[in-house]
Amino acid sequence: MAATTAGAIVIPDPQDRVAVRILRFVAKAPVHLVLVIIGAAWLVPTIGLFITSILPASALASKGWWQIFSHPSLATWANYHALFQNAGLVTALKTTAYIAVGNTALVVIIGAMAGYAFAWLDFPGRDWLFIIVIGLLVVPLQMALIPMFKVYDTFGLFDTWYGIALFHTAFGLPFAIFLLRNFFVGLPKDILESARIDGASEFRIFIRLILPLGLPAIASLGIFQFLWTWNDLLVALTFGQNTTPITVWIAGQLREFGTSIDIIAPASFISLVIPLGVFLAFQRYFVQGLLAGSVK
Amino acid sequence: MKRQWVVVLALVIVASVAFAAVRVSSSSAGARQTSVNKAVSGTITFDGIWTASSGQKQFQDVINAFQKLYPKVHVNYKPVGNDLPTVLATAVAGGHPPDMADIAQPGTVKQFATEGKLKPITYASSVIGKNFAPAWKKLGTFDGKLYALVFKAANKSVVWYNVPAFKTAGVSPPTTFSQLLKDAQTIKASGTPAYSIGGADGWTLTDMFENIYLRTFGAAKYDALSAHKIKWTDKSVTTALKTMAKIVGDTSNIYGGTSGALQYGFNDSVTNAFASPAKAAMVFEADFVGGVITSSTKAKPKTGFNTFTWPSITPGPDAGAVEIAGDLFVTFRDNPAIEAFVKYLATPQAAEIWARQGGFGTGNHNVPASVYPDPITKATEAPILTAKSVVFDMSDNQPPAFGSTSGQGEWGLFQQFLRNPKNISGVQKKLESAAAAAYKK
Amino acid sequence: MAAPPPSREPGKLGRYLTGAVFLAPALFMLGVWMVYPAVYTIVRSFFGPTGFFGTWVGIDNYKSLFTTSTLTTAIKNNAIWVAVVPAFVTAVGLIFAVLTERVRWSVAFKTAVFLPMAISAFATGVTWRIMYQQDPGLGAINALGKTVSGIVSPAGVLPSALPSTPNLVPKNGGLVLKTPVHPGGVALLGLTGIAPTAMPGGAKQAVTPPAKPGAIVGTVWRDFKPGGGKPGVVETGELGLPRVTVELESSTGKTVQSTRSADDGSFTFSNVPPGTYNAGVGASTFAKPFGGYAWLGPNLITPSLLIAYIWIWAGFAMVVIAAGLSAMSREVLEAARTDGASEWQTFRRVTVPLLAPVLSVVFVTMIINVLKVFDIVYALAPQSAYQNANVLALAMYFTAFQGAGNFGIGSAIAVFLFLLVVPVLLLNIRRFRREV
Repeated sequence: MAATTAGAIVIPDPQDRVAVRILRFVAKAPVHLVLVIIGAAWLVPTIGLFITSILPASALASKGWWQIFSHPSLATWANYHALFQNAGLVTALKTTAYIAVGNTALVVIIGAMAGYAFAWLDFPGRDWLFIIVIGLLVVPLQMALIPMFKVYDTFGLFDTWYGIALFHTAFGLPFAIFLLRNFFVGLPKDILESARIDGASEFRIFIRLILPLGLPAIASLGIFQFLWTWNDLLVALTFGQNTTPITVWIAGQLREFGTSIDIIAPASFISLVIPLGVFLAFQRYFVQGLLAGSVK
Repeated sequence: MKRQWVVVLALVIVASVAFAAVRVSSSSAGARQTSVNKAVSGTITFDGIWTASSGQKQFQDVINAFQKLYPKVHVNYKPVGNDLPTVLATAVAGGHPPDMADIAQPGTVKQFATEGKLKPITYASSVIGKNFAPAWKKLGTFDGKLYALVFKAANKSVVWYNVPAFKTAGVSPPTTFSQLLKDAQTIKASGTPAYSIGGADGWTLTDMFENIYLRTFGAAKYDALSAHKIKWTDKSVTTALKTMAKIVGDTSNIYGGTSGALQYGFNDSVTNAFASPAKAAMVFEADFVGGVITSSTKAKPKTGFNTFTWPSITPGPDAGAVEIAGDLFVTFRDNPAIEAFVKYLATPQAAEIWARQGGFGTGNHNVPASVYPDPITKATEAPILTAKSVVFDMSDNQPPAFGSTSGQGEWGLFQQFLRNPKNISGVQKKLESAAAAAYKK
Repeated sequence: MAAPPPSREPGKLGRYLTGAVFLAPALFMLGVWMVYPAVYTIVRSFFGPTGFFGTWVGIDNYKSLFTTSTLTTAIKNNAIWVAVVPAFVTAVGLIFAVLTERVRWSVAFKTAVFLPMAISAFATGVTWRIMYQQDPGLGAINALGKTVSGIVSPAGVLPSALPSTPNLVPKNGGLVLKTPVHPGGVALLGLTGIAPTAMPGGAKQAVTPPAKPGAIVGTVWRDFKPGGGKPGVVETGELGLPRVTVELESSTGKTVQSTRSADDGSFTFSNVPPGTYNAGVGASTFAKPFGGYAWLGPNLITPSLLIAYIWIWAGFAMVVIAAGLSAMSREVLEAARTDGASEWQTFRRVTVPLLAPVLSVVFVTMIINVLKVFDIVYALAPQSAYQNANVLALAMYFTAFQGAGNFGIGSAIAVFLFLLVVPVLLLNIRRFRREV
């Protein structure tokens, strides 16, 4: 962190004061207006997808989804009903939950440990190792499929939810380490120094200081990792036979020939509910602010 | 919480009713077969392209009937959908393929066979010989060994038309190509574009070319081009492309014009032709168009849509030849359970279970024509067996890099041709160089 | 796990050990799942198309990378993506994060912008593909365009009409009868290509008015009967076209009279001085409605993809930067303001630099994501546009997994992707050095 007043204990400002300050930046009303317009425009495609999901496929063949405004009677829940007829849906959602939650937890823990090591532990070769880790961000999923097949076969990881979860954990680590390390680097150096001087072990510093301070970044990492793995298709399709998360299940519903928008649209919304819930639950941690109860 | 249990209960009830219904139908279908075999046991993994909305249920019915005869064998069907080629390629390369798979391109099967990944199905040779004409056995034979059973076939020499649009124009289904062109002009004058082309999917264009070539030059020459014994720069190809340009070059007669034809995929081309009011009058594609019409439009059979055979070009014995595509079943392993399943799939009983439900064509000549559920299905599926000559989809027979890769090879080059139908020699040259490169490997 | 004994200055071994323990799980997973495949890929790129390894081909695969037009287009497209998207997404995310920080209902806005990230890439691709459809009846964007252009330049009554005989030729957007008429003559303007549902309302059976001296009469009608009928002849069952603007041109080409057809298609030009004239239908009748832009066509496909992609990822940038903002130390800002800096100066000189680590995470991640972009192009671009929309990850997918299955070239593309990131990393090394 750039030059701070030396040694002083930092007490966070309440959010209000911050808000009032940046308020002077721009007058309030135009900003609200701009945000409303942008937010509404941003929502249009998603709303369109939702309306598509409540229209029968034959109606969509000749006119766009906005026909619902002139013919509201066309709306029907039939597409959703058809999906729920299939008992596989609930199992698929459960499997997805195992995979998503499992790998997100692992990524957060392992990523935070490594991020802390790269940020605040000093050892030779640290910077170069960090760069290599970031370099691994480039490795595309597709290229790992074939070599890992043999490995999975040998160790009996094929067609298991944890086999898939481990794959995602590994591929989530480069970004996790990158994000958390860069975030941890910005934490106030003096707190860590004083904790070290006072004899706290690295582990205690990690658990008592770093994790709480890093909550905003960890929360956002958690959301994205959860999301990306919730929506993954390729890995689950390749390494599963009977293990079917929701994406594979949806793919197995699509027609070989013929628009499947009456399946894709409602299925996307069903699948969307849980990640959205996770987002809404986690997002308050972003504004939790600095040093929530962690000052010694 | 309570609501959740109600939903689960509802699902269970629905599932059991569905299960009971399936058991009833499959037991009546299997009534003809002989005794139950308890000696053979095992599990078979099967990767297939049919999903819940397109064939999985019907194929599961076939599986269930088989499992009734072999109660100790369990077939584990995985509905992969359109990603099947990728999943299969990865699994094979990684050394963990499924026991059996359904592959649409003989070119791909040949590649796997040459690499030694497939197990021959010579044990099924006599069953196949009893039920299929020799041409069908040849389709599954590579390097002298039998590797694949053509379980399901699709008739690609079919044209689907919008009945009201034809009525407005006052035309009836043409039987010759020149009549087709004339009718197309009449339809245009009546206010509807005649052609709905799904050029975004390159294979619709190759299908059109193949039907034209087949009907102009006959099955023998078609097979020669298919095996690359004739080059793509040959004069016969020029003639066929010129004929094709009469359709794809008639831009004001294509819905959306050339630009639209390139952006609309196969699905769109069908929904465009059978929306109401009709946006176009005809779709040149296979028997599976019917499934798309019923699932995505409001058109009804006979009053909304109907079919006619691809018009003849050169009169002669091959004027009514049929081009088919098919699903080839291959095996990656060999054991008694797999052998029993393959042999069962070659029997007419297996084919009938699906044929009875529609959307299924077969080369099994012991399947009676009476089994098809409605006249339109019969009109599209029966010719597979009754036509004098049957050829396989040319692009599917090519090495996959040339014949079935998105945006390149045949698919990509025919899209270029659609964009500029005047540049015939240019396209021919590119086709030949792409083919030569693919065949060299 | 026992804590190491407290020490002021842990020895070199101690430092290694602690570092190792914290890093071990990560390094193990990365080693097995990423380093091993990466090494395998590099090695594999020097071998032939098939098999777990195949036959050695040296640098042939790399040579085809730069000679195949498919791949050079892909490289070019990736360059465009890298130039546009990361900067845009980061900037947009920063603006959104800053603006929403002081608005009470920020959660609603954040959710709206974040929602696209929660939808699978496949579903998003399908959604936008439908939105981009050229047909204004089906594609949302072009529908909007049609509404706008319908106000600005409304379509004609018969936009798709065509002449029924070669006698009627196009001229200046309209149609004109080649055969000249004289006063006392009859002009027959037959049109086809009009669907029965597209007929203007109130049309009646077409009628040819009787010839009148000193006047030119005629009919403009839908010259079609089921089966075709006789072109150029008014037959029973053929309807006239009402309210069509018919013009009379003198031999100099100047329009001397214009009138509108009646419900039965008939029209009369009265009091015509002697001379030679040509009758025709005005251009306004054929004004085409907005046909829609070809967003999915070869020229616009990449911009279309960029828009959809930014729509998805702005939420990512916004959320991550907002997290960074919320954890920022306030007293530095206070200090700057007490020193008399304006809001904008504070933002530029204090906030943004403090956010630099987080901004760089977003920016670098976006660069790498964009180099790897696959799902959206696969789901959104129609096959016919693949050549123009092609990106390296898509090319790699098709080369390695579809059709031929040439893992050799596929691996080479992956390695090339790898190498493209190196400059990005080198650029950031300096930044890392500066911070610690």
